[in-house]
Amino acid sequence: MKLVECMRWKNFRLIPHRLLVGWAVMFLCWASFAQAADFLSDESYEDQAESLRVADPIEPFNRAVFTLNDKVYIWVLEPVATGYSKVLPADIRSCIGNFFYNLGEPVRSVNCLLQGRVRDSGLVLGRFVINSIGGVFGLADPASNEFKIAPIYANLGETLAVWGLGDGFYLVVPLIGSSTLRDFTGTVVDGMATATYSPWNDDVLTSATVQGTNTVNRTSLRLGDYEELKSLSFDPYVAFRNGYFQMRSKQRNHSQNQ
Amino acid sequence: MQPKNLTLSFIVSVLFVLITLFFTQPAISAAPDPTEQFRPFLKKMTETLADPGLKAIPKNEQSQRIIGIVREHFDFREMSKRVIGQQWRNLSEKEQGEFEQLFTQLLQYAYVEKIDEYSGQQVQFTQQRIKGERAEVQTLLVDKNKSIPVFYIMLLRGDQWMAYDVVVEGVSLVRNYMEQFSEILRKDGYSGLVKQIEQKIAELEKGIKKT
Repeated sequence: MKLVECMRWKNFRLIPHRLLVGWAVMFLCWASFAQAADFLSDESYEDQAESLRVADPIEPFNRAVFTLNDKVYIWVLEPVATGYSKVLPADIRSCIGNFFYNLGEPVRSVNCLLQGRVRDSGLVLGRFVINSIGGVFGLADPASNEFKIAPIYANLGETLAVWGLGDGFYLVVPLIGSSTLRDFTGTVVDGMATATYSPWNDDVLTSATVQGTNTVNRTSLRLGDYEELKSLSFDPYVAFRNGYFQMRSKQRNHSQNQ
Repeated sequence: MQPKNLTLSFIVSVLFVLITLFFTQPAISAAPDPTEQFRPFLKKMTETLADPGLKAIPKNEQSQRIIGIVREHFDFREMSKRVIGQQWRNLSEKEQGEFEQLFTQLLQYAYVEKIDEYSGQQVQFTQQRIKGERAEVQTLLVDKNKSIPVFYIMLLRGDQWMAYDVVVEGVSLVRNYMEQFSEILRKDGYSGLVKQIEQKIAELEKGIKKT
């Protein structure tokens, strides 16, 4: 029997067993490669970490955008966020942060489902319901505090990765920062999906204002972090690139904290 | 003769295994618990940082006092070795010693600013993992509005767990410096790296004097 015919769905049972086992082994190998770095094994130090595995062919362009983002941060975002943090107390700002995070939960839940993480998908949906009702439109986070359901990470970039799509290359996006071709595509689509049910999709100006508020609010909760990281590094561009990939690999490792 | 010989050798090997087990078992159970070692260490650290007397002395002495405590449970040589990576073996013993001193100094200057920022944040121990002579102690640095996960990666030296990496929110300090250093090493070699670290230390030192 020809292999091509085996591949047809109705002929599924005719696929030789050895082939199935082979696929299973290949999948397991791939899955173990996809795992996040284990700090207790020396390989995680020796193989130059994850960041070198994602190519950076447009480094000169990325460096230019990095410089641009740096100027925007220092000249605009940081002063605005500093002023904002003086007007609003920290607990109100963290409520606003919760509100924006809660709006993203439905998209996160769908992504969990698309990744085959059925349990996580349900938990995220549960968080959304609990926080939207008990947390008054998501301003508070009783799901974490009272129900002990910690925030769960998921986005389309990760979904595409689970489906086997590669990163493409490292990309620094104006005003957004570190990403990769695949992950940025995911960010855009996730954003559009969120926009379909968010309350302010009538006109561009309103949604831009809302996005701006979200960014300023987020920055105001982490003032000083950026400057500090930058002052400690020898090549901020490389330091932030490396930090991005390390942080991402931790966020996508769902095995550990459960 | 043959079967008897075989039983004899079997008994001998079983005995050998038992003896090995007997001698190694206490050694394994005697290995100290990493969290139990780090609890008093980090407590001492936060108490020193909270001590109002600390802020009264000059910045340089402050950082000396802190680094003195840090040295009790941090292995700066292991850290230096990992930050340099494979090239470490190509360095002479003198260069290795020099680099260790330089890198320690860099961290000392980098974190002296942090002393002022300390405002009673507490350390919570969440989990630990042990794998042979390596351990990972997971903690949460609890602040007013957020808590930051900080992991210490350590190695058993004698009966002391010594940290050689700190992972803050998933970002390993050693791996981050390692990638930056590897590019400098490739372009300018070891001497270029030393020059850049010296420059950075001078820069940080100037910043400290200003404040």
